[in-house]
Amino acid sequence: MKILKVLAAASAAAVASVGPAVAAGCPVKVGVLHSLSGTMAISETTLKDTMLMLVEEQNGAGGVLGCEIEAVVVDPASDWPLFAEKARELLTVHEVDVIFGNWTSVSRKSVLPVIEELNGLLFYPVQYEGEESSKNVFYTGAAPNQQAIPATDYYLDELGVEKFALLGTDYVYPRTTNNILESYLKSKGISDEDIFVNYTPFGHSDWSKIVADVVALGADGKKVGVISTINGDANIGFYKELAAAGVSADDIPVVAFSVGEEELSGLDTSNLVGHLAAWNYFMSADTPGNEAFIAAWHEFIGDESRVTNDPMEAHYIGFNMWVNSVTAAGTTDVDAVREAMWGQEFPNLTGGMAVMGVNHHLSKPVLIGEIQADGQFDIISQTAEVPGDAWTDFLPASAMLASNWSELGCGMYDTGTGTCVQIKSNY
Amino acid sequence: MKQFLLAVHLLLVSTATTLAESGPIQAILQEHGDLIVKSSRKTIGPAIEAVATSGLPEAQSVLQAWQVKNIWMRKSDGLFFLGERIESKTYRLIDFDSGDTVGEFPKRALKNIKPNSGIRALIGTALVRFQLLDPEPDRRMEALDAIERSPDASLLAPLRSSIDGESDAGIRARKMRIERLLTIAHGTGADERVAAIEEMSTDLGVDVRAALNPLTRTAVMAFAGDIPEGLNVAWRLGPGSDDLPREEAYALLVATGLAPATVGRDAIRDALIANLEDNAAGGAQAGELGTDDARMRAYGVLAGAGTVPPLVTDAEIDAALDAHVFAAVYAEASPAVTAAAEAALARIANRVGLSQGADLALDALSLASIYFLAAIGLAITFGVMGVINMAHGEFIMMGAYTGYVVQQFIPHHTVSILVAVPLAFAVTFGAGVAMERLVIRWLYNRPLETLLATFGISIALQQLAKNIFGTQARPLTSPSWLDGAWVINDVISISHIRIAIFVLALIFLGIFLFIMHRTRLGLETRAVTQNRRMAAAMGINPDRVNMLTFGLGSGIAGIAGVAIGLYAKVTSDLGADYIVQSFMTVVVGGVGNIWGTLLGATGIGFLQKGIEWFNPSNTLAAQTYMIIFIIVVFIQLRPQGIIALKGRAAGD
Repeated sequence: MKILKVLAAASAAAVASVGPAVAAGCPVKVGVLHSLSGTMAISETTLKDTMLMLVEEQNGAGGVLGCEIEAVVVDPASDWPLFAEKARELLTVHEVDVIFGNWTSVSRKSVLPVIEELNGLLFYPVQYEGEESSKNVFYTGAAPNQQAIPATDYYLDELGVEKFALLGTDYVYPRTTNNILESYLKSKGISDEDIFVNYTPFGHSDWSKIVADVVALGADGKKVGVISTINGDANIGFYKELAAAGVSADDIPVVAFSVGEEELSGLDTSNLVGHLAAWNYFMSADTPGNEAFIAAWHEFIGDESRVTNDPMEAHYIGFNMWVNSVTAAGTTDVDAVREAMWGQEFPNLTGGMAVMGVNHHLSKPVLIGEIQADGQFDIISQTAEVPGDAWTDFLPASAMLASNWSELGCGMYDTGTGTCVQIKSNY
Repeated sequence: MKQFLLAVHLLLVSTATTLAESGPIQAILQEHGDLIVKSSRKTIGPAIEAVATSGLPEAQSVLQAWQVKNIWMRKSDGLFFLGERIESKTYRLIDFDSGDTVGEFPKRALKNIKPNSGIRALIGTALVRFQLLDPEPDRRMEALDAIERSPDASLLAPLRSSIDGESDAGIRARKMRIERLLTIAHGTGADERVAAIEEMSTDLGVDVRAALNPLTRTAVMAFAGDIPEGLNVAWRLGPGSDDLPREEAYALLVATGLAPATVGRDAIRDALIANLEDNAAGGAQAGELGTDDARMRAYGVLAGAGTVPPLVTDAEIDAALDAHVFAAVYAEASPAVTAAAEAALARIANRVGLSQGADLALDALSLASIYFLAAIGLAITFGVMGVINMAHGEFIMMGAYTGYVVQQFIPHHTVSILVAVPLAFAVTFGAGVAMERLVIRWLYNRPLETLLATFGISIALQQLAKNIFGTQARPLTSPSWLDGAWVINDVISISHIRIAIFVLALIFLGIFLFIMHRTRLGLETRAVTQNRRMAAAMGINPDRVNMLTFGLGSGIAGIAGVAIGLYAKVTSDLGADYIVQSFMTVVVGGVGNIWGTLLGATGIGFLQKGIEWFNPSNTLAAQTYMIIFIIVVFIQLRPQGIIALKGRAAGD
């Protein structure tokens, strides 16, 4: 098997080397732009390690275009403006061919102008609020229609929820997502008084009043469900208070969009059994591909207890698609690689094929999992692949917008007037 | 071979051969195999129904296995079995009908049937009739849970018949309560239901309100002429009133087909565009159609010619509204029931309001005790000694991490907390003493330098914690006797851990008072802070006293850290979350007085909860308002705090 892989890589390299378009010098450089210190460190350090593992594996298989791949790791230290500086450093000083990085939306927004100015290439691996499609970014995490909307449908159809509590941390991702969900719920006939919205600061710990409010929502005899975009540590206090109030997942289910295996490792999950999370990947997915990925991760990191999560899979797919595109284009030139990316296919770790769309978003299956006592998720629902939608159909301002870099050459195209609103992503 | 191929081809469809081999329950499962594998709440109904009503003795065990995700399908032939895990990848399959072990299979050859919680609730409802009389009390409780989750009319009769035979007093009481609630919704006669409503009208439970509220739901309807007999009318509505604005009333008429639709501005424009001929419509040139009036006139011409539906004039709308009667009508048919429900809800609403007030006060008290606990160490180091210690929060964090580390070595939660409390005190006492010796004692009476130096230390300590423990939160699990909540009624409840923090805060208040007023250290501390040189002249060693006092303040912060870690989370930012509140508490209350700190904490706690109550949807804004309010009122108008020190103790 390994020989086969090497042979394939070698032949690919041979094909590439006779082609005329070999512009890249060796080694091919991959920039890794993840915080290694500060508040985002734990989540992002894992992604840095994932990238190092993927690069190592690819080098074992012969690199790309006959070149060794070199990972250039920088530390933007959870400091959003520093992300822009470090991205500039990667592109101008280290002259990397591609960047894999960012976690929070605010850091991505800070990097966008730099990437677009210098015509770089960024792979962004985290689920986000959508409403963006940059020429120079490939979004390998979920857009709202690949996480929030299917989870809401699941609530409406499968759990029969009639009354919604949208709880979130107070920043751009939860606010945008909740706006989308509110207008989606209204389009489904849920009235205003059946939607309760609450925002709390980062690290909020005093949840007793909010949990009591949510329980009181059930007083009119309707089934209540919570959709949580609560981020980070605040989840711990929230789940502790839920457990203390004796709220069982059968009575008031909570579906979370920012709680994965990594976050649950900081919690005693015995009281959370049955609450839900929606992602495109769960570590518990039972496929040969996932088994091999987890084994490789454990071997690379040297710790059997480490978990894998959704953004890691996003990097896994993104990196492999990039390698395939470079091989197909025969060069690491950004414009050539970008065009080769459209329509790239790569198997998901959860089964099926991920396909890169012309709007720079992946199509992926949507999974819903129930929390188990061991901190893993039991996958109870898995859809077919859903193409990512950059501009949600459920906000009036963006329903008219489309993104198509292949035919329209535009990431923000107004289908009503038939014009491109703008090329750059400074919205 | 042929048989095998057939089975593979018709994966889920039962073939004659499999039917012949399998028992009756397998046959039922096979009949609904597609639905069971698809596992959607919307379509699963018939499958559950078929198993539940099969009358087979295995029905209950099949449903129970299904509910706990223990049914497995063999991929090779689509048959369903009970699965038992032998090791991670191998399962033993047991036939439902015979109870025989079929064999051991690798997980890859099987598919687990995983009902989601919506389906599990349906199965639970189907299981009720079996479980209500089950000898196991837990199963009977499960049945009652299922009834509460979906109070279905068909469950009333089995529930009633099960009450007499119930031996467990607790379960019996619960059964009777649920029977009352079911009677409210599904009782046969109005008298029976009214009686149940009146009986439950003193109960505050969310479930009682959930049973009553649907009875009082109304829908606005419009009628031509008189309201038909037999409708349970809540009240009549006059169009044009606040409850039913004119536009809504007319829209209702249009929706019920009692009046023609109005033509809006956009519709007029579209109709004119659609009827443009030679760049003119309705006798007007396109260029003249710039105003609403002109467009209306042109549309009127078109309408007169019959090409477009006529405009509805205001007079016509008024006439239509006058010609119809509007009323809010109950969905519930019996007037006696709705009247009783309205009355009961009104009675309950008063009591719920009172209880909510009490619950809010309890929450506020609890928050106050948390702030007090976080601030009490600072009341010593800042309040008494006057040292601005920005690293106070990091001592809280150290205490919390100490608790976490102890739990790694002592898995028994109660013991680990008992060990963690003194250990946290020791660790932070040591850290406080070290900091006092190394940094602070060089900076007495230089508040700005102290502030900067301790701020630096706090950042360093945070980063140190991140390097050692990572930024992901660490679990500090409370003992099981601290889980759960003290529930007074469905509205008033408070978690045990918060009560524990409240008690701990009271204990610390006592300890503080005792040390300051009854021990030699307290006496010496007060002496040194009031007049250092005079105290030294009296034979007190001020260096030693300062060191011990600072250590004491830090040590108490460490214990507070264990408590806060139990209630919230253990992260490196934990201290930073409390440092602002702690300083605010001490400053607002009045520097140097423990009663001031207590008052400050109480005031801030109640203020924050009060603001949250006014603005339930945004806690962040609530806190911002609170801080502005406190800064303005207290720091500007009363810089000395609520309780000001008087006389010599006030120092300068």
